[in-house]
Amino acid sequence: MSAIPLVSISRLTKHFGGLTAVQDLTFDLHPGEILALIGPNGAGKTTTFNLVAGVFAPGEGSIALGGERIDGLPVHAIAARGLMRTFQHNMPFAGMSLTDNILVGCHTRCSDSLFDILIGRRRVRRRETAARLRAAELIKFVGLQDRIDDDVSALSFGEGRLLELARALAGEPRVILLDEPAAGLTQPEMTRLGAIIRDIAARGVAVLLIEHDMHFLLPLAHRVVVLNFGRKIAEGTPEAIVRDRQVIEAYLGEAVGDLAMRPASA
Amino acid sequence: MSDLLELVVSATASGSIYALVALAYLLILRPTSIINFAVGEWAATGAFVGVAAQTTLAWPALDGPYWLAVIAVLVCLGALGWLVEALTVRPLIARGANITSPILALLGVLVIFRESLTMLFGADPLPSPPPFGFKRVAFGLFAGVPQQFLIITVTFVLFAAVWLFFERTVWGRAFEAVALNRRAAALMGINLRRVTTFAFVSGAMVAGLAGLLMSPLTSAHYMMGLPLAIQGFTALVIGGVGRVEGALLGGLVLAFVEQLGARYLPIPSGLTLGFPFVLLILFLFLRPSGLMPPREAR
Repeated sequence: MSAIPLVSISRLTKHFGGLTAVQDLTFDLHPGEILALIGPNGAGKTTTFNLVAGVFAPGEGSIALGGERIDGLPVHAIAARGLMRTFQHNMPFAGMSLTDNILVGCHTRCSDSLFDILIGRRRVRRRETAARLRAAELIKFVGLQDRIDDDVSALSFGEGRLLELARALAGEPRVILLDEPAAGLTQPEMTRLGAIIRDIAARGVAVLLIEHDMHFLLPLAHRVVVLNFGRKIAEGTPEAIVRDRQVIEAYLGEAVGDLAMRPASA
Repeated sequence: MSDLLELVVSATASGSIYALVALAYLLILRPTSIINFAVGEWAATGAFVGVAAQTTLAWPALDGPYWLAVIAVLVCLGALGWLVEALTVRPLIARGANITSPILALLGVLVIFRESLTMLFGADPLPSPPPFGFKRVAFGLFAGVPQQFLIITVTFVLFAAVWLFFERTVWGRAFEAVALNRRAAALMGINLRRVTTFAFVSGAMVAGLAGLLMSPLTSAHYMMGLPLAIQGFTALVIGGVGRVEGALLGGLVLAFVEQLGARYLPIPSGLTLGFPFVLLILFLFLRPSGLMPPREAR
C-alpha cells in the first residue's frame, strides 16, 4: 500500500435544506486499498458516494483524485479521470448484450474520437476489435463468460451485479466505488464477489465500498470508516472497529447483539 | 406492369425522403427524448441552401457544383442545428426544464425558420437543378428519372452507415446507452451535453440532405417543410422509434400506401394527402411501438 493517497477527502460537508447529510468528513484512500464506509441508514454513506462521483457538488470541503481537485466537476469528467461506480440497484442498459454494456463502460478509454470514426480512420476498426476483446476478458474475469451473448435482461440479480462490476472496470478506473455490492446476493455469489474485489484491489485499484453485511465486509476490508449522522465517528482496521464502544453503540450494537442473541440453529 | 414498376421506383424514392426525415427525428429523439418538429423546416432550408449554392454561389470553374451544394447544405445545416441546440435546448436543460419545454421551444424555431425562408427567398417556388438531368433512365424493368435513383442510393448508403455507427462502434453503443438510461450513462463517463449537440447537428444535416435531394422533383418552396415533418413523423411512428432500420421501413411503407392508394383506390386525388394521418392514427391505436419495436421491449 502506497503512502501517497489516491483519493483525499477533506472536510467534506453537504446540506440538503436544513438537513446536514455529511459534515466535516475527512479520509484518504490509497491505491490497492479496500476501504469500507459503514453506518446506520441515513448516516450519509450514499451522499458521500454521490459527492465523490460528482452527482452533487459539495457545500464545503474538497475531494482530490491523484492530487487534482475533482469536486465540482461534472459526473462524466470525473468518470473520465478514472473513477467508476456501481449502483445500489443494478442499472444495466437493458436491450443490449453483455458485451455492449461493457463497451459503454470503456467508451472513455477504448474508443477513438467521434471525428476519427466519422471520417472512417482505419485504426478505428483495430481499436474497436481490441475493445471487444477486452470486454470479453472482463466478462470472463467476473465469471459470466457463459452468458456473453445474452441480453442483460436475462441475467439474475447476482449476475447483474457482476456485470455492473465488469462495466465499471471497463473504464480502467483508478478508483472504484461499490454501493452495497453484496446486497441481495446468495452466499456462493458473495464469496465469488469477495474474491473478485480482492483481485481488483490487488491490481492497484482503490476500492471504496458501502456495505451492511458485516460477515462479508470484515474479512474483506483493509480499513473501515464509520459514519453516524453525517459525521465520522471511527476509522481503523476491521478488528479495531468491532471493539470500538462508540461504533457498537451507534451501529454494530444492534447487529452484533442480534447475532449474539440468535440461537446457533436459526 | 411497367406502370406498377415505375410506381415502385417513385414510391421508393418518396419513401427514402420520408425515411431521411424520420432519421433526423430519430437521431435527436433517441438520446435526448426531444421530438423536434422543426426537422421539416430544416429540410426546406436544405433545399433553399442547395438552390442558392448552385445558382448564385456556384463557382463556374469548378466541375460538379452539385457537390458544392451538398457540402454547403451539410455545413450550413450542421451549423444551424448546433446554433438551435445551443440557443434553445441547452439553456432549458441546464435550468432543469421539463422535457416539454424544449419541444415547445422547437415549435417556435419551426415558425422562425419558415418565416425567415419566406423573407429570404420569397413565397414562389424556386426550381432546383437536378444534378443528372431529367432524362428517363431504366435499370432493367425499373425506370424513373435519375434524381429518384440518386435519392434511393444516397438514402440506403446513409442508412447503412448510420446503422453501422450505432450497432458496431463503441460511440454508437454509448449513444444507445444514453437513450436507455441517462443517469447511468453519465456515470460511465459519457458527456451528455456533447451527445445532445451531436444529436442536433447530425439530425439537422440529415434533414437538410433530405430537402436537397427532393427539391429537384418538387422545387424549393417555403411550405414544403410542414408536410415533410408530418410524413417523416408518421414514418417514425410506423417503423418504431427504437431502431434506425425502423425509420427506413416506416418511410417506405408510408410512401407505398400513399402512391398505390392514389393510383388504385377510387378516391379523389386530393384525399391522398390524408393518408399519413390515417396511418398515424391506425398505428398509434393498434401498434404504438411500430413495426420494429425497440429491443428493450422484447
